[in-house]
Amino acid sequence: MNVAVFRSMAPVFPKMASPVRSACCVVLAAVVVVYAQRHSQDSHPQYERVGADVTMKCGSMDWDAAVTWTVNGTDIDESHLNGSYLILKNVNLSQSGQYSCYEGSSWHLKYQTYLRVGTPPKEPVLMCRSNNYPKGFYCSWHLPTPTYIPNTFNISVIHGTKDMVCEKDAMPKNRCHIRYLQLFSTVKYKVTLTVTNALGKNFTTLTFDEFAIVKPDPPESVVAKPVPNNPRRLEVSWQNPSSWPDPESFPLKFFLRYRPLILDTWQHVELSDGTSHTITDAYAGKEYIIQVAAKDNDIGTWSDWSVAVHATPWTEEPKHLTTEAQITETTHTRTHTHTHAPGETVFIKCSFHDDWRLWVLFPFHLERVVLAACFRAWCWLSWRRHGNSIEGGHTHSLEPALGLKP
Amino acid sequence: MLNVTGELSGDSWGIFTFLCAALCNLPALPALNCSEELGAGQSIQQTYDLTRYLEHQLRTLAGTYLNYLGPPFNEPDFNPPRLARAERVPSATVDLDLWRGLTDNARLAANYRAYSRLLCYLRVLDGQVGTAELRHRLAHFCASLQGLVLSIGGVMSSLGYPLPAGPAGPPAPPGAHAAPNDFLKKMDDFWLLKELQTWLWRSAKDFNRLKKKVPPAVVTLRLEARGF
Repeated sequence: MNVAVFRSMAPVFPKMASPVRSACCVVLAAVVVVYAQRHSQDSHPQYERVGADVTMKCGSMDWDAAVTWTVNGTDIDESHLNGSYLILKNVNLSQSGQYSCYEGSSWHLKYQTYLRVGTPPKEPVLMCRSNNYPKGFYCSWHLPTPTYIPNTFNISVIHGTKDMVCEKDAMPKNRCHIRYLQLFSTVKYKVTLTVTNALGKNFTTLTFDEFAIVKPDPPESVVAKPVPNNPRRLEVSWQNPSSWPDPESFPLKFFLRYRPLILDTWQHVELSDGTSHTITDAYAGKEYIIQVAAKDNDIGTWSDWSVAVHATPWTEEPKHLTTEAQITETTHTRTHTHTHAPGETVFIKCSFHDDWRLWVLFPFHLERVVLAACFRAWCWLSWRRHGNSIEGGHTHSLEPALGLKP
Repeated sequence: MLNVTGELSGDSWGIFTFLCAALCNLPALPALNCSEELGAGQSIQQTYDLTRYLEHQLRTLAGTYLNYLGPPFNEPDFNPPRLARAERVPSATVDLDLWRGLTDNARLAANYRAYSRLLCYLRVLDGQVGTAELRHRLAHFCASLQGLVLSIGGVMSSLGYPLPAGPAGPPAPPGAHAAPNDFLKKMDDFWLLKELQTWLWRSAKDFNRLKKKVPPAVVTLRLEARGF
């Protein structure tokens, strides 16, 4: 086939002018020679162990030839030379670099190498975890100490007699994931990680059951809010971690911990379902720190704690209220509550509407009268609590003191 | 579930009032046949709780029993290959998609069959065990496991599914599959306990799925009320 190619190319060549053809060939040859010369010396870096003794020969030069060695362009003192050989004793990491050997008088480059000093790998650290049960699991690894030279990692997963493929992740590096083909397996998984570099190799093995490595990610979007008019409550809500694929069939249970910033001991609550909880025993006015963790209802271990959120329960002092106006509408009251600077006047309107839905619940007139009376009493008590700057009552209509929309 | 606090949305009010109206008219209806659905929901929860209790009990029992068998069976990283003879014990292992797609009937039947057979094997074990303490524990566990089988049967009946034709006794005459030597006998026991443990984990997940699928009592009531 090659002959055919040449034959097909033959008609092309005569078309080129002869001198141009020659020049092209010469240039091409020169490039090839230079390339070969440069890369024959340092196409492969030279790897040596920390603490080893290294002897470098100047290519094909005789032992008694006059040569000069340089490292990264700097001349090396003759005391390191034994004839034309360069002797490096007990090398350390700082001696990595490009070593070149030049013939004494002509300063021709005779030999060049890139020396990299490193260590063989120590036993790697391997961790496997299923944060997306029952989809699969991932394994991640790292070296406990750096080797300072390139390493390659090879991972193998065996399930009983079957070899499984662990697909490497692009990000983060040093991680791979496996999909479960079968669930509820009694046979253990055996994961072996081998790390190899130019100076040696090492490996580690993990053997585990499907259930033992289940550990969800921490809950997400933890939010803690004060509860209006309740100085000892905090409302906490969160979401299932997004990596957990099927919370319907594999529900999570949660562990909540909270403490005021000023104390060191945590209080704990375990919740078997739901993604919210109201703390009812908070100390009034104290800032709290709150965290949540998750676990599969039946198997595995608890997740790490979520990001901590801070919250302070509602208090009556104005400076603790939120700065936005809050307008709460219930089925039978309309109440405007405004934040205000001390000294400003705030108005509250309490009105009682006979809503149609009340008629269904309380079909008797007497019940509705009683309800209205209770409500008015409550309004009056609220007024008393908020002090003299507030006016309340059934027939008062309202002008919002701060010019805010109702 | 209605949260009757200070604020009620319009939808919740609508449902609440409808229910009140329905309840008021209830005595006029013929007797509702909804006790079975109500029963099923509760039974599933009870069965789930029972599997969790058994799983907890098994942990202690297995620890004691494996110590009785001695090394290497009581070593935590003991990972023997699964021999062909171990295939007799019903395995919980199942293809992921297959497990997801199981019908309620198939799911319950698989559990019922598995535990019936596991119970038989455990009873055989009970007769052979040496120490009194182990016999006592095994007997207690067998009783609880019997309760689980009955509970699953109860759920199936209340949902209208036929009970699978379970083996009344061991599937083969006792002694037909007896281990040829002491070590293999211990291996059999090891795999029996392992499969039992895995089945209990699987059942927890099975019953979680079933809990979601059996309709809640309130909705059932409303549908029945409309039926008149």
